[in-house]
Amino acid sequence: MKKSNIILGAAFMALGLGACTKLDEKPYSEITVDNFYRNREEVMSAVLRPFTHANAWAAPTGQLGYWRVSELSADQLAWPQKGRHGYDGGNWIRLHNHQWIANDDNVWNPWNLMFWGMGFCNATIRDLSSLDFTKIGMTEADKTSIIAETKVLRAWHYLKLMDLYGNIPVVTQVGVPESPATKPRKEVFEFIEKEIRDNAEQLQPLSPQLVGRVTKAGAYAMLVELYLNAEEWTGTPRWDDCITYCNKIIAGDGGSLAGSIPALEPNITNAFANTNSNSPEGLFQIAYDFRSGNFRFGWNGDFWHYRQRQIYNADRDGNNGIVVIPTAFDAFKDKDLRKQQWMLIGSMKKDPALRTSEADSLVLGTEEYSDKPLVFVKEIRRNSEGETGEGGMTRGEENSGARFAKYLPGKTDDPNYWGNDFMLYRLTEIYYNKAEALMRKNGKMATQEAVDLINTCKKRAFKAADWTTEAYTTTTLTMDELLAERGREFIFEGKRREDMIRFGKFTTATWWDHKPTADKYKLFAIPFRQLSINPNLKQNPGFE
Amino acid sequence: MHKRSTFWAQTCFASMVLMLLSHFAFSQGKQVSGKVTDAETKTPIPGVSVQVKNTSTGTITKPDGSFSLTAPENAVLVFSFIGFDSKEVPANAAGNIVLKPSVKSLQDIVVIGYGTQKRNEVTTAVATVKAESFNQGGARSPMDLVQGKVAGLVVTRPNGNNPNSSASIQIRGLTSMDGDMQPLIVIDGIPGGNLDLLQQDDIASFDVLKDGSAAAIYGTRGNNGVILITTKKGKAGEPEFNYSTYLQREAVAKKPGILSAADYLKIAGENNNQGANVNMYDLLLDKNNLSHYHNFAASGGTATTNYRASVYYNDANGIALQNGRQQYGGRININQTGLQGKLSLQLNLATNLNKANMNGGRGGDFEQAVQRNPTAPLYDANGKFIETNGFNNYNPLARLMQEQNTRDQKTNSGDLRLTLEPIKDLKISAFGAIVSDDYNDREYRSKISRSSIQDYQGGGYARKANYTGKDRTFESTVDYTKRVSDHTFNIMGGYSYQYSTWETYDMNNNGFLTDAFEDWNINAGNAINDPKLPRPSMNSRKEDNTLIAFFGRINYNYQQKYMLQAILRHEGSSRFGVNNKWGNFPAISAGWVISKEAFMQDINIFNNLKLRAGYGVTGNQGIPNYKALITMGTGGAYLQNGKWIQTYGPNKNPNPNLKWETKKELNIGLDWSILNNRIGGALDVYNRRTNDLLYAYSSQVPANIVSTMYTNVGVLANSGVEVVLNTVPVKLKDFTWNSDVTFNFQKNKVVSFSNEVYKTSPQYFGDLPSPGNLGQAIRVVEGGPLGSFYGYRFAGFNDAGQWLLYKKDGSKALASEVNEDDKAVIGTGIPKYMASWSNTFRYKNWDLTVFFRGKFGFQILNLQDMYFGNKKWAPNNMLDYVLGKNAKLNDNPAYSDYYLEKGDFVKLDNLTLGYNFQLKTKYIRNLRLYAAGRNIATITKYSGLDPELQDTALDSGIDSRGFYPRTRSYTIGLNIGF
Repeated sequence: MKKSNIILGAAFMALGLGACTKLDEKPYSEITVDNFYRNREEVMSAVLRPFTHANAWAAPTGQLGYWRVSELSADQLAWPQKGRHGYDGGNWIRLHNHQWIANDDNVWNPWNLMFWGMGFCNATIRDLSSLDFTKIGMTEADKTSIIAETKVLRAWHYLKLMDLYGNIPVVTQVGVPESPATKPRKEVFEFIEKEIRDNAEQLQPLSPQLVGRVTKAGAYAMLVELYLNAEEWTGTPRWDDCITYCNKIIAGDGGSLAGSIPALEPNITNAFANTNSNSPEGLFQIAYDFRSGNFRFGWNGDFWHYRQRQIYNADRDGNNGIVVIPTAFDAFKDKDLRKQQWMLIGSMKKDPALRTSEADSLVLGTEEYSDKPLVFVKEIRRNSEGETGEGGMTRGEENSGARFAKYLPGKTDDPNYWGNDFMLYRLTEIYYNKAEALMRKNGKMATQEAVDLINTCKKRAFKAADWTTEAYTTTTLTMDELLAERGREFIFEGKRREDMIRFGKFTTATWWDHKPTADKYKLFAIPFRQLSINPNLKQNPGFE
Repeated sequence: MHKRSTFWAQTCFASMVLMLLSHFAFSQGKQVSGKVTDAETKTPIPGVSVQVKNTSTGTITKPDGSFSLTAPENAVLVFSFIGFDSKEVPANAAGNIVLKPSVKSLQDIVVIGYGTQKRNEVTTAVATVKAESFNQGGARSPMDLVQGKVAGLVVTRPNGNNPNSSASIQIRGLTSMDGDMQPLIVIDGIPGGNLDLLQQDDIASFDVLKDGSAAAIYGTRGNNGVILITTKKGKAGEPEFNYSTYLQREAVAKKPGILSAADYLKIAGENNNQGANVNMYDLLLDKNNLSHYHNFAASGGTATTNYRASVYYNDANGIALQNGRQQYGGRININQTGLQGKLSLQLNLATNLNKANMNGGRGGDFEQAVQRNPTAPLYDANGKFIETNGFNNYNPLARLMQEQNTRDQKTNSGDLRLTLEPIKDLKISAFGAIVSDDYNDREYRSKISRSSIQDYQGGGYARKANYTGKDRTFESTVDYTKRVSDHTFNIMGGYSYQYSTWETYDMNNNGFLTDAFEDWNINAGNAINDPKLPRPSMNSRKEDNTLIAFFGRINYNYQQKYMLQAILRHEGSSRFGVNNKWGNFPAISAGWVISKEAFMQDINIFNNLKLRAGYGVTGNQGIPNYKALITMGTGGAYLQNGKWIQTYGPNKNPNPNLKWETKKELNIGLDWSILNNRIGGALDVYNRRTNDLLYAYSSQVPANIVSTMYTNVGVLANSGVEVVLNTVPVKLKDFTWNSDVTFNFQKNKVVSFSNEVYKTSPQYFGDLPSPGNLGQAIRVVEGGPLGSFYGYRFAGFNDAGQWLLYKKDGSKALASEVNEDDKAVIGTGIPKYMASWSNTFRYKNWDLTVFFRGKFGFQILNLQDMYFGNKKWAPNNMLDYVLGKNAKLNDNPAYSDYYLEKGDFVKLDNLTLGYNFQLKTKYIRNLRLYAAGRNIATITKYSGLDPELQDTALDSGIDSRGFYPRTRSYTIGLNIGF
């Protein structure tokens, strides 16, 4: 008995103990880095990742990024509390009042989103630098051009980060160094300038095939922004450099989406229409195509009312968030087509396809005006409670404030439905920037060239009959007027804070519910979350 | 590390072989006879096992209590019978034997994982609940049976008695922030067994391994403790049939104070009067709900081959409309012994087929029922449902009628254990099990539904989804017991391999011409052809993971007076980083039965007094798969050479050092009984520390890409006291009263949340809902406890009825004037104390159970008060807080301690009256009829619906706007055996 049992028992044990000790995972539905970059499409899909990420911070798509803090802290747009909606932890009130603290979402979220996008660029540069392009059917020239593009895109992230935070660490490798140190703004500026200028000439010129990408035109536009703000950012004006790069763009040195040189649109709507992918104004834009890519510039969340889809026969509603500040609305003349066409005011009608009867033609409210017609009013105050006066950030109602309509999606049966690209730099801005540089060079006095540049653009916003009284002259185009006109032209484009700072108004001016604040609010604080884990970061002055 | 495991395996193997070599022998003897009687009733006891010690020779007593057998000259006879203390008597002194009824559970068998122990040999914190102590009435989940029965085991039903919800289970509080927080369930030896496969009448016992020295045998899954569930098995003897059935009805325990149409109009204004008077809440209830349950079991066989088979059918219906679950299935157990008793086989097969209607019973529907304008008519003139136009409004009754959502689920398990006993006391076994879980979901929203019209251009919406999960387990063990005079050794060693996979796919479509197909012709939806319709979507995914372990346990006891147990599990999980896949989980524990010491013999108070102490290390590998790999994630499509192609980028910061959380726990316990075992109990004190706490810690951006790193950094400490008291206050011939109390106290603290590299800023939980987006209610900081409410402090109302909140400096300010720096810790959502009190009264054939349960020392954030109790909620309907305590408030919702209420409660949780018929027939063995009520009454100061909320999670203690009505359950049941 014993022997056979021992053998049997031993065999039994061996069955178990001899068994496998392998602990591999098979990632069926995920792709690991070792399995990636096997062909051109895979390489490009990593190169393009920061572009789709910029959707989250550069455009008003529902996240608290660069766009939101740049507009909601300035004098044109606000997200007032509307009854039980929109308090949102007081975030938007603090942005409007310039009361942000180091522990604020307003400070942390843009930092996180933008450095995240910058990190994608670092990862792509690292991975592609060590990749043998010839093995995957690409050329060394491809490699040079792609890496140059990613470096310029990275510099653009730093440009926007420097705009918000001033003094920031500059990191060009993933994870190295572990605790990067804050660099003074001037050094950050120099890094950005060098990065763009070193790589700009290796980029492709802008062409319809490269819509949405960083090309020579986009790189030049970044330099224009950098030099226009150089005095504010470094103390040293660079007006001539600014004008040089404006001229290169205008001359077509950077390429164009239509023909050989970029051109102004003949009207104020084309550049934002759902067919704007090939707008001749475009220099650098985030490209979207909802029908083909199932990816859209989703501005509805931030701007639209809860029932706003009915106005357009669209497929989404919004959170009834951001509205036009009454004083900004009044800064437009009534005959200004930008006021008439880029904003909604008054009674809202349903798209004809959605009306079941004539009586059913009005969009109805859901809150203070529940089941009553939705009529947007310019005031932000409790009209339903009989309030008069200026109103305020906590005094909104569901219909308060004029609404965003600069970008329109088209109807759901439109083949280009919601195909709008988001314009980051368009030719009009280059005209305005060149005019501004000319004026600043000229002792802040208009030159005829500056007046012509602005008038060429502004003329599109008026009917011919109205234009005669609206055209600027060298006397009417003052610096204050230029800032006001920039506001009217670029409203909703995420540029207002930077402009107001450059014109010295951001912390000194009063608008609607906002009182002047301290100089330190020209910058956002360095987020507490990062300060607490990185000893080499330095808090911005006044936020310590 | 592979080398190390091989070495361990070889050592283990060699020692087994050595043990195989030892053997025993014994010789023949003479005839012994006598009679066994009950010490208390003085009546004969039939069926007592009489065995020659250390042999398999034995007999059982006849109906008159008499026995006779042949035993060696110097042999010792062991008399044992369930419910009585065993007695050892020298064979030559045997005659009239008197057995004393045992202290409850002292001699019981305790399941400890890969083996069993006698209760009095246990050295760790293990609680056992047997079938006779289960909560009575209809159980929605097997865990309901032991709710409140084990000190330190929390079973809560965040969704009330919804038949399609599960219980959340936790032992000794939160041990993790991101890993598994629920104990490992082991069903008949299958780790990770599926609770759906258990029916209340098929369960024999629950054994709960509470502390680390007990749970270490399950290594990387032991941190949250282990619940071992044993099902009823076949046994030799007369064939038996058992039938159990019950009928159950749910009735609402407390109605929300929804404003009547008249009160509503007073606040919302006459201009919101739409003319009707509709009570939407009542319309969503199924007041005639009835659940019934049937379980039929047969068992029998011989000592060498026996079986138990059961089948069941259950139609469970909740208090809500379209909120049911129909299930049927069965369980088969077959046991066979062969090869002269040397080889035994145990086979279990179980299946559960269920069909759940998941359309009704949603929290969101009841939220709508509260806030719907009560004057809004249900239907328009054409009989179409009316949708109110308010923000976030929908007509919940219309949704129920226009949509469908069901799940068809099949759960199966099969396991086979072969045990070879080549020589006495050496058992070699191999165990294999497969558990599978499959379900098919179907969903259809008809063309006229609100969803269809709003989002799908009126073309309906269909969805189908499928899930398949499979766990494959193979384990082999060797178990050897050796007795040398008063020393008993037991050594067990084994290997475990578990491979799990799951896969899903789902698809949806819209643009249907007709509702006729529902989801059964999904390709008929035109959205697959028409790009102007919302895109149909499809998804699929598959994941896998592997766990491999080598484990061993040594038990030693001397005269059942001193016991020692040591455990080591060496385990690897595929989920961790390449540098840290394997780990060791050791434990040691000891017991000292003080009452057996000579010096205690004169002190007659204690029948049993035992001191236990144990220290154990366990792990937690309950994190998502693939967390340690460097993977690329998608980021939306972008234009590439004229085509829109998905973009990819790194979606996490890589961590090749990712490893399991490790918990070290010290447990000291005392078991005692006095006064002839009339009063007894246990006291356990524990201190546990989870190191290498897994969490997505803040990482430095830049230079990292992503702002969090999933890694092992923090330390979480838990400590607590558990007290169990079992008493028999009255014991007369016809009347007994058993009274059991459990109590526990627990606290936790985040000891550290950072190391040299990762210093985590406070973490927030419990998102407060829209509108208003008031942030998160709960904050966790280093040095503080989990579950702390963190918000503004209420300072009163100003004359306009606006909030005044305290600023940091003590001044008062409006809600628009405070910021993050003004917040403070204002309460905790996790109960500090829990207690239960169970009473069973027996009078002749009657029995009555009265069971109370309570939780204390916590607050509830009442979101229903915060939102529905605010006038600003108009033109939606509101709760009657607006007329009462919030009448003065005239401001938008703000999060402050104004909305925190004391959550302490005591529930009369179970009241059961039963009658056992004594029938003088050969055909019916037993017949019991009972009526039970659960959740009968709640004593609390909490103003909301029910103070018992989710309390096992990081966002505990928040009473949401959406809810499932809490109910009282009334059951009438019958058990019959023949």
